[in-house]
Order: sequence, then C-alpha cells, then structure tokens
Amino acid sequence: MFGKVLAAKTVRLIATLFAVSLLTFLLVEQLPGDPILAILPPGGLDDLENIERIRKELRLDDPVFTRYFRWVGNALQGDLGKSYITDQPVADAIKDRIPVTMELALLATLIAALLAIPIGALSAYREGGYFDRAMSAFTTAALSIPGFLAGIFFIWLFTLKFNWLPSTGWNRISDKGLFANLQTAILPAASLALAPLAINARLIRADMIGTLKEDYILSAKAKGLRDRYILMRHALRPSSLTAITVFALQLGGLIGGTVVIETVFALPGLGTRLISGIYQRDVMMIQGITLFIATVYVVVNALVDLLYAILDPRIRRQ
Amino acid sequence: MRRLVRRFGNAFTAMPLVVKVALLWLIFIVAAAIYSRLDRLFGQALPLQDPFYQPFLFGEALPVEGPSSSHLLGTDVLSRDNLARLLHGGWVSLIVAGTVVIFGVAFGGFIGAFVGYTRGKAETVTMAALDVILAFPPLVLLLALVAVYKVRNLTMIALVFGVLGIPTYVRIARASTLGIAGREFVQAAEAIGTKRTAILFREIIPNILPALFAYALINAGYVIVVEGTLSYLGLSVQIPEPTWGNMINEGRRDIRQTILPIFWPGLFLTLTVVSLNLVGDWLQQRVAVRSSAL
Repeated sequence: MFGKVLAAKTVRLIATLFAVSLLTFLLVEQLPGDPILAILPPGGLDDLENIERIRKELRLDDPVFTRYFRWVGNALQGDLGKSYITDQPVADAIKDRIPVTMELALLATLIAALLAIPIGALSAYREGGYFDRAMSAFTTAALSIPGFLAGIFFIWLFTLKFNWLPSTGWNRISDKGLFANLQTAILPAASLALAPLAINARLIRADMIGTLKEDYILSAKAKGLRDRYILMRHALRPSSLTAITVFALQLGGLIGGTVVIETVFALPGLGTRLISGIYQRDVMMIQGITLFIATVYVVVNALVDLLYAILDPRIRRQ
Repeated sequence: MRRLVRRFGNAFTAMPLVVKVALLWLIFIVAAAIYSRLDRLFGQALPLQDPFYQPFLFGEALPVEGPSSSHLLGTDVLSRDNLARLLHGGWVSLIVAGTVVIFGVAFGGFIGAFVGYTRGKAETVTMAALDVILAFPPLVLLLALVAVYKVRNLTMIALVFGVLGIPTYVRIARASTLGIAGREFVQAAEAIGTKRTAILFREIIPNILPALFAYALINAGYVIVVEGTLSYLGLSVQIPEPTWGNMINEGRRDIRQTILPIFWPGLFLTLTVVSLNLVGDWLQQRVAVRSSAL
C-alpha cells in the first residue's frame, strides 16, 4: 500500500521536474531577438566571422527542442553549460556559492524554530493574555515587513547607530573561524527568519490551543502535575509534528528568499550570482541557477510531503 | 444604492477598531495615489511637487533637505521631493496589486469555477499546468521572467504579475466550487432543468466570490511586497519613475546622508501590507462564518 503511494509520488515528482526544466528553458528562450545579441559583448557585433564561429560552437541554429534536450541531458550529468560572459562553468558557480545560501537558510530556520516554539507555546498557554496579544501584534508586523526592509533596518540599527556588527560582506568559516562567520551571518539570517518565525509561532499556538483542550491534559492537571511540566512534556510533543513539517516546508522557500537578502548584505551566495547574471543578461547562468533553485524547492517539498505521510498514519491510509 | 450604503455602514460599525483604522489607511493610500496622477489626466498642475524636479541643479535648494513647509517629508540627495515620489510610488504598487486582483478574481475565479463544476479532463489538465507554475519559488520565477526584458515599464510589470497571480486564484475558486457543487440549492437547480451555464453564473460564482475577495486582500499585500522586492533589486519599473522599492534602493546608497528616502516608503509599504492583512483576515473570518451557515 505504502509502496504504491511512494511510486505515484515519485512519478509525479519526475513529471514536475521535467515540466519545471522545460519552463525554465523556454522562459529565457523567449528572449526577443537573436540570442547572439545577448551573448556578445557590446561592439562585438561587427565581427561577422566571430558571430558565425560562436553560433556554430553553441549550435544555436538547432531547433529549440533539440537544444532543450541537449541542455537537460547535460544537466543530468552535472553540466549546466558555461557562462557566455565569464566563461565560468555554471555548475562550478553553483558549487562555489551554495554553502553561503545553505548556511543562511539553515541558520534562519534555526532562529525561527528556537523562537517560534516558546512564543507559540506560551501564547497558547495564556490565550488572550497580555503576552498572547503582544505576540499576535508582533507576528502580524513580522509577516508584513518585507525581508529586504528588515535587513536594511538591521544594518541601520546595528551598524550605523551602534556599530556592533559589520554591515555587509562575508567571512568564510574556513578563513576566519566560526565567530567571525556568525558576525556576518546573523543579521541576514535574522531578516530571513522573520516571516517563518511569525508563521510558525501562529501555527504552533493554534495547534497547542487544540491540544490543551484534550482530556489527557485535564487528567494530567488532575494528577497535580505542574503547568510547566504539562506544557513541555504532554502538550508540546503532539504539536511537534506540525512544527517539524512546517519548518521543513519553509526550508525550500527560504532558498528562494535568500536571493534578495544576499543582495541587501552583499553576500557571495547563489542569489547574488543569479541577480548579477540577470544584470549581465548571462543566459546560461540565469537558466542554470533558476533550474537549480527550482529543483531544490520541488524536491524538498516532495520529501516533506513524504515525511508527513510517514509520520501521520491518517494521511498514509488515504 | 441607499441600502448598499447602509449595509456598508453596518459592516463598518461591526469592525474591531484596528480593522477600521486599517481600512481607513487603505482608502487614504488609494486616494493619495490617484491624486498624484490627476495632473496627467487633466494636464493641470496640482499642489504637489514634481517627483522628477531637482531644484538644487538650479541653485534653488540644498541637495538634501529635511522636512519643511516646501518639502513636507524632506528631499533625497538629488533634492527631489520625498512626498511627491512617495505618492507616485504608491500608484505603481496600487496598479500592480489591482491588476493581480482583477486578473485573479475575473480569470482565475472563472477558470476555477468552470473546471471545478464541469470536472473531467479539462480539470486534470488545468490543475497539472498550474502545479508546474506553482512549483517555482515565486520570486525566482518572476526574476527569470523579467530578466529577459530590456525595457520594463508599468504596463509590462503589471501584466507579468497579473498573469503569474492567476494560478492560486484558480485553486481557491476550484476548491470552493467543489464544496458548493454538491449542495442542495445546486441540486435543486439541476433538478428543475436549469442550464449548466446558468447554474455556473447564478449559483456557483456568486457563492465563491466572498472567499476570493477575502483572499484577494491578503494576496494584494503579498504582491505589494514582491513588487517592492523586485523594485529594490532594480528589476521592476525602471528609474527615474519612482516606486517604493526603488526609492529604498536609491536611499540605501545615501543612508549616511539621509534616512528619509528609505523611512517613508518603508513605513508606507509596511502600513499598507499590515492593513491589507488585517482587513483580509477579518473578512476571511466573516466569510468562514457565513459559508458554514449557508
């Protein structure tokens, strides 16, 4: 039974990835005019021989679908082509940049989890109280402030006003150690964490309010257990299922969300490379990075879907 | 007409105070954005500064000025009036969000109701196609899409946002339609031989609209954030045309000289999104109550 679900989900995943790659390819192919115009540096258009040579080399005269299948075939072997502008292989650029993006996404998830669980639990425990209402206002605000604005605010506050942290740039762990690395990572991760923090705190609160009404909580109270013990031991455990899934689900979204935050803090991540590729109209780079991010996003979402099915027997049976 | 006004009045008094304030802010921001463009409609100068005029180039002002009677919200480092730029930027957000909502409710709502009511192959194909678009992180899809255009004006940006916004509306419309299509009043209409098109337009669509509008408000806030983000990256409507996002981008460079060109659009952006979320949440709760009583 479960094998059938797994097989169906795998087929669906492969179909989605195929469609996503096709759309990514076509998006950039819709480029008005000859792709050669975007590839050549300004002034390179006078050299007709050069144009012919590049056209041959990249086989731009082949039909769109031939080129698509060649691109996807190579991508499956880890070759996303090379930038027309810097000559750097796209796969190398991704390998080079992904650690920064991953660290930001994971650190943001960690911050969101560490804060959302106590905030959600305490708000549920004192539903309607001062803390609950203050946190409700906070989550509404956190959900409405765009990440880039929060980032700029943090820079203004911690760098220009107090001068506690460096405003932009990145220290690699391997070069300068963990502490120097965290100094440059904490502000971007915090700006990235705001939205998931708010969503998770709300979800955990709603879930806990439901859990706290269960009979076994009442019986634990009747046994005379302390509130804190009940909250931590009896109530948080069933709600942690919800928490785990939403955290995992947001990880995929965060990889997309780092794009703008990396730009605000000028970090050498995947997002800044995508943006600079867009500014330079670096077609291969845009296609490659977009495909990579979309693939991670789709695969993470599929895994979470599966994880959920494994963890929750009710869904497994459907 | 009078009944409509009274109904709106009743709904307004029933709102919690925060929601009232939020609604008033939204009305203010829409009015202000429209006001900033009136001169283009009537060709007549308004008591609002020109957002492109740089008086310091003509020796009429200092590069940066704080708030004063001539520049109520101060100027940026190019001595352009912050207030005028702020309101003009509001127009961009308003048009983009408005286009997404109109496209979403009109096209998305219709497609969703249609495939949800008729089911069959059309439904399978439509939903599969939409899943592909929804499989992308939204900002990344937008970036890849706008990346290829050399010229980006308001019409083009609004259209791109409008089209990409449709899929979620289709999903919501379809889900609500599935819930309604089996109800007694639809069965009754089918039993007396009403045409299916008539059922679609008279029974289904009017009943899914409230849910769509409630979502539209929250979605509009999200769209304003995404447009702001794209503008901040310099990939939405191009400068010198002011948008809230590109004001913040330009202000970021000059943050050591003046914070005002960041502060005002940041404040307006956040307040507008908070307001849309508050009113949207409130409406969504009302809709949930109403549909459970239906």
